Amino acid sequence: MLSRRKFLGAAGGVAGVAAASGGAWAALLRDSVEQSSGPTPTTTRPATTTTVPSTTEPPSDPVPQADRVLVVVQMAGGNDGLNTLVPSSGTYRDARPIIGIPEEDLVVLSKTDFSLHPSLAPLSRWWNLGSMTAVEGVGIPFQSRSHFRSTDAWLSGVSGATSRTGWLGRWLDATQEGDPDPLRAISLVGGSPMLVGEKSLATVIQSAEAFRLRTPEGIDTEGLISAFLATASPLATDLTLAAAQRAIPSTVDAVDLLTGAFDVTDAGAGGSDTAGAFEVAARIIDLGIGTQVITIGLGGFDTHSNQLARQSALLDDLAIGMAGFMEKVEADGHADRVTLMTISEFGRRVGENGSGGTDHGQGSVQFLLGPSVAGWEVHGELDLKNLVEGDAPTLVDERSIYAEALDWLGGPTDDILGGTYERMGAFAA
Amino acid sequence: MDTRSEIAWLARRAGWGLDPGELDDLSTLGTSAVLDRLTDPDSAGVSASASPWADFEPDPDPANDQRARQNLAATSMWLSHFSTGSRQFENGLAWFWHGHFAVSAAVVNHLPAMLGHLELLRARALGNFREMIRAVTVDAAMLVFLDGASSTGSSPNENYGRELQELYTLGIGNYTEDDVRAAAVALTGYVVRRRAGWDVRFVSQRHDPTPQTLLGVDGVRDVDTVVDTVLDHPAVSTRIAGKMASHFLGSVSPSTVDEMASVFADSSLEIAPLGRAVLEAGLAGEGTPLVMAPVPWIVQVMRSTGAVVEDRMVVAMLRNMGQVPGLPPNVGGYPGASAWLSSSSTAARFSSAGVIATRTPDDAPVLTAAADGRWDDLADLLLRPGGFGRSTIDALRDVSRQSGRRPGVGRLALALASPDMLIA
Repeated sequence: MLSRRKFLGAAGGVAGVAAASGGAWAALLRDSVEQSSGPTPTTTRPATTTTVPSTTEPPSDPVPQADRVLVVVQMAGGNDGLNTLVPSSGTYRDARPIIGIPEEDLVVLSKTDFSLHPSLAPLSRWWNLGSMTAVEGVGIPFQSRSHFRSTDAWLSGVSGATSRTGWLGRWLDATQEGDPDPLRAISLVGGSPMLVGEKSLATVIQSAEAFRLRTPEGIDTEGLISAFLATASPLATDLTLAAAQRAIPSTVDAVDLLTGAFDVTDAGAGGSDTAGAFEVAARIIDLGIGTQVITIGLGGFDTHSNQLARQSALLDDLAIGMAGFMEKVEADGHADRVTLMTISEFGRRVGENGSGGTDHGQGSVQFLLGPSVAGWEVHGELDLKNLVEGDAPTLVDERSIYAEALDWLGGPTDDILGGTYERMGAFAA
Repeated sequence: MDTRSEIAWLARRAGWGLDPGELDDLSTLGTSAVLDRLTDPDSAGVSASASPWADFEPDPDPANDQRARQNLAATSMWLSHFSTGSRQFENGLAWFWHGHFAVSAAVVNHLPAMLGHLELLRARALGNFREMIRAVTVDAAMLVFLDGASSTGSSPNENYGRELQELYTLGIGNYTEDDVRAAAVALTGYVVRRRAGWDVRFVSQRHDPTPQTLLGVDGVRDVDTVVDTVLDHPAVSTRIAGKMASHFLGSVSPSTVDEMASVFADSSLEIAPLGRAVLEAGLAGEGTPLVMAPVPWIVQVMRSTGAVVEDRMVVAMLRNMGQVPGLPPNVGGYPGASAWLSSSSTAARFSSAGVIATRTPDDAPVLTAAADGRWDDLADLLLRPGGFGRSTIDALRDVSRQSGRRPGVGRLALALASPDMLIA
């Protein structure tokens, strides 16, 4: 049996991290945020694994591609893009007599035909710096209005067919060197199906409060954790039992290595649970454990009714979380390594319904944030003159933004997406 | 499987575990009699049980601190009913239907209406599916959850009209966007009078009576015609049989699902015969091992151990593992196995096992078996009469009898946290 201490030492030498303590976003589950997740394999970190990523950067590149971190924020439920990035068009005003955002509240984006929802004001600093951009009219071809089918298409990066893997899982597979390292990809409260690969692994954390291994008084903690690890080997031949076994060493490992990111002293202080998740993401980047992809989930965007109040609260959380994240990675000196991207399964109907809300729609707007993006302009296109069944049409394939993000991470993009998708120029060349 | 293994399987899958000693009693009774008691409790002479909240009258408009206390009390009554209710499969199905409709207390935000919804599902858990859908369609909690209460003829809200077809009955691919709109229009007119005890009322001025074409059927104009049109569709029996089969059995072949669907369709969508067909298929070896969700895991473990844990702590453990009764994360219901194998859920299960072992009474058979190192007895008491796997037994042997404040506590904690106990 591998002792826990040996296990930790072998796993990357971050032993001796302070005792686990709570995080700030555990209540997210209580608040019904987690998007249902697809199969996510977890497994043991073999004793021989090295966690330090290889850094085979081209000499002229200031930030090696292997050091880059993509953070994908999933707004589950279908965020209403029209009230998020508000167009200055009469069609918008006509379609939204009750839930249109009053002109005087909007945050105008100069030299564009758009304004930000007032809740997104904290992000205007990055817009003005040229470190934030938007892509309009993004969706999936033959958009379904089903939450689940659309979410599957977005998270897998595959449209019109089912996929066992997520788009980032395939990137992890393609770029994996040696044994899988579950800490390359970390899911915080959602988005984990994006990280599912055939051979790579991810760490899935749904609750910060839960993310520690506690034993009651009178029990030798190290001894019991060692015994817990021992229940995982040898693996059973039954696949389900083996999956339950594999979860154990990867959990013990992740708890030890990530403990520093969950120290409560000031995580999310004064902010929301969502802000806490962003804070944890920024801390994980600062830990320097080779994490390259992080997903963050937040839910509740299915605003069929009372949308004005509900979406404002959600976008408040989102903007405060994203701004806090950017400030922390800047302060830690990691900003140049980081890009943040939003996704959501669909936009909402252009016309409002009778409940002060909007029903499921099609194309929508997504944001990119970070020094690597091509700022000061809105990419893609919002076409309110040619609605499809009352919806803004999908004019940009979701995989166009994925393609640019994968290019930025170092590819091989076309292999991962199964084709060549048009680049919008949303990342600076 | 031998009889003892069959009874244990039924208790793990169809019911909510067993109290110490109960596996002996039911094994004497035999598999067939136990199956009758589960799926046809009236004929088998199993007394009906009252609502879990029969004696509970929550304040409909509580102050904030009282709200949290009431929610906790209601959750604890529910969990306790799972352990003690005489009709274990009725409760097992009530839990399945709760996940199926996925109404969230956080969205409804009115405890009496939420409990009314859950009781509606429990009372009809073994009844007729068509009647269940009819009742759910005009249930106050559902009208609020999916916005039927604010859907009007002049401005229909599609939320319920869509999910009725996509999630609750037909499944994607069996309806069109026009069908979504048609159902939404025909179902308009219901309101929930929040100031009058959340009374549901039909207001004809808010209803659009224009006859709609739904799923190819003309003249659909109200709840009854919508429900009948949707429930007459042949996709219903296959979809519900498939969902129930995967809930209780794991992965099963399409031909098995088709057989169950025939049973369901031939009985005019009566749920009890379908439930019996599902359990019989499982006993015959259909299906795969299942990763247990936190709620059944904790109820079964608490029963086997007899542990005494404060309500507040039980709910905290469930929250940490990622599943709180009454709070499905979205309209798709509770997530599946991958969520329960996540790092945070795994860590929380380990921590919870320690608490439960510590709170297990001195005279509990599981504790003495653990202290004595009688691993096969311990596994049997935990409803695994086939014993633990090799890895878990070897790991148990490495834990000192003296680990914990009382002999056997550390070993029991490890057994409860083991991967074997997560698989039903």
